[in-house]
Amino acid sequence: MSPQSIIRPAVPIAVCLLSGCLGGNGTSVPAASPTPVLNTTVLVVDGGPAGTSGAINHAYVTVNVCAAGSQMQCADIDHVLLDTGSSGLRLVRSVLAAHTVALTPLADAANRTIEECMSFVGGQTWGPVALADVRLAGETAGKLPVQIMDDTSSDAPPPATCGANGTLINAVSGFDANGVLGVGVFAQDCGQACVAAASPLPVYYGCTSAGVCTAENTGLTEQVANPVASFAADNNGIIVSLPTLQSANGDASVQGTLTFGIATQTDNALPAAGVVVLGTDASGDFSTVYNGAAAAIPALIDSGTDSYGFNDPTIAVCATGAFVGYYCPAIAPLSASAVNTGVGANAMSSTVNFALADPNTFVANATAFIDLGGGGGSTTFTWGMPFFYGRPIYLGIDQRTADIYTGPFYAY
Amino acid sequence: MVGGILLRSLVWVGVGMAALPCAHASLGGNAASIDGETLAWQGVMNAEQGPHYLVREITNGSGMDIREYSNARGIVFAVSWKDPAPPDLRRLLGTYFGGYAAALASLDHPGLHRSVRIAAPGVVVESGGHLRAYAGRAYLPAEIPPGVTLTALR
Repeated sequence: MSPQSIIRPAVPIAVCLLSGCLGGNGTSVPAASPTPVLNTTVLVVDGGPAGTSGAINHAYVTVNVCAAGSQMQCADIDHVLLDTGSSGLRLVRSVLAAHTVALTPLADAANRTIEECMSFVGGQTWGPVALADVRLAGETAGKLPVQIMDDTSSDAPPPATCGANGTLINAVSGFDANGVLGVGVFAQDCGQACVAAASPLPVYYGCTSAGVCTAENTGLTEQVANPVASFAADNNGIIVSLPTLQSANGDASVQGTLTFGIATQTDNALPAAGVVVLGTDASGDFSTVYNGAAAAIPALIDSGTDSYGFNDPTIAVCATGAFVGYYCPAIAPLSASAVNTGVGANAMSSTVNFALADPNTFVANATAFIDLGGGGGSTTFTWGMPFFYGRPIYLGIDQRTADIYTGPFYAY
Repeated sequence: MVGGILLRSLVWVGVGMAALPCAHASLGGNAASIDGETLAWQGVMNAEQGPHYLVREITNGSGMDIREYSNARGIVFAVSWKDPAPPDLRRLLGTYFGGYAAALASLDHPGLHRSVRIAAPGVVVESGGHLRAYAGRAYLPAEIPPGVTLTALR
């Protein structure tokens, strides 16, 4: 297969040819090259990959993946969930296998396979860390550590300490996605906390050929990594752009744009005025005060969450229908507001007014919903997908400078 | 609450508060189970007796902060956690973990969660956060002492 043939028609081929990016390994782009690479790819909100049903407010992207160094073992993986609340690319093994892409796991110094237990609240992904060449639009992250979600149980079984959050969510049905594309504010998913802990975190493990896995410290270059941070250019952050929805009761599907880089090309400037830049702490959170509450709580802007997620015990929770557990305000729409404040040098503040609908009035077969709330009991405020519709969201990566701002930050 | 206390030191650090060897009990456990368990978290424990309950707080140098609330009968009726690392809910929830996991698996909308609230038989679990910042709590509604509000259990 020629390098060109792996680019699907959705990508304007002419632009990529001009850029000279195809087949590059992410480090060989000439510094003097005046022609920018294509830095935008399509986002889709729809019902999810083949064989699933019921996905709502999931923003998907198509990711081109090759076995590291291979131009033969390549595939476009559709319906990878865009997650601004985590960092790193995770792909379901059975999906890779269906595309005959076999990624080679990384080994540690003792020649044990490096595997990861990534805890999303409510469950965890488990599987080996492997190197892949990852392409998004005209950008390439070469030899990127990614996680293989081992839904076929082909590798070592998860140890007892992986499974302590709930159930394994390795399959396509777990996320209603063929993978998760974590493009959060950090370059690696765990960072320094997993490099030199006195007692290694239950995140990275070394697994023997007999399938015995022990938590171990893992260097930054072997941790599952945000591909954007590894691009040769446009590597300081992203912009997520989704349109305003047409219907208050849900749109059948939505199309938007994922842009790589902030203030690196003519199409990704940070507005000089009117933009709110919210720096985060070392955990990736800014702070939010909800409806005049006494205390500020940690917050993030998270495309991986389908709703506004926050605790308000005064709002009724849906007991019946398709949205059990979400908020069902007695009088809808219910108006609410919150004040976001950045942490550290980027300490702007902004008040956000939003509304909560009764989701039992939503159109049954729609997939994109504004005004959906949930998260009772949460100690954090999660500005989920409803917050993205109709406003571009900027994420600046840790220690990278975008315009006059240094990450980690969120902006809108 | 109090940090920087040497492991296993037995220094009084305030009225009604002491640093103790780090034992732990899971939700629903009792004093006997505390005595019998190991130094699971490699941290430091402080205990503080309030009017309605005893709080044991376990911290370590990596940002972990676990609190266990036990009532007058010695039953651990609530646990809370803040931790950059994934919490070990199997250990924290004890015998209630199975019901929690089963309820999780039956959530209407699968996928990625940054917070969940699970009301399983006898227990409520509120868990949230992401890698580098997890937080949550779990409690046994039937064992909460009279006069104690949920907002106190953080």
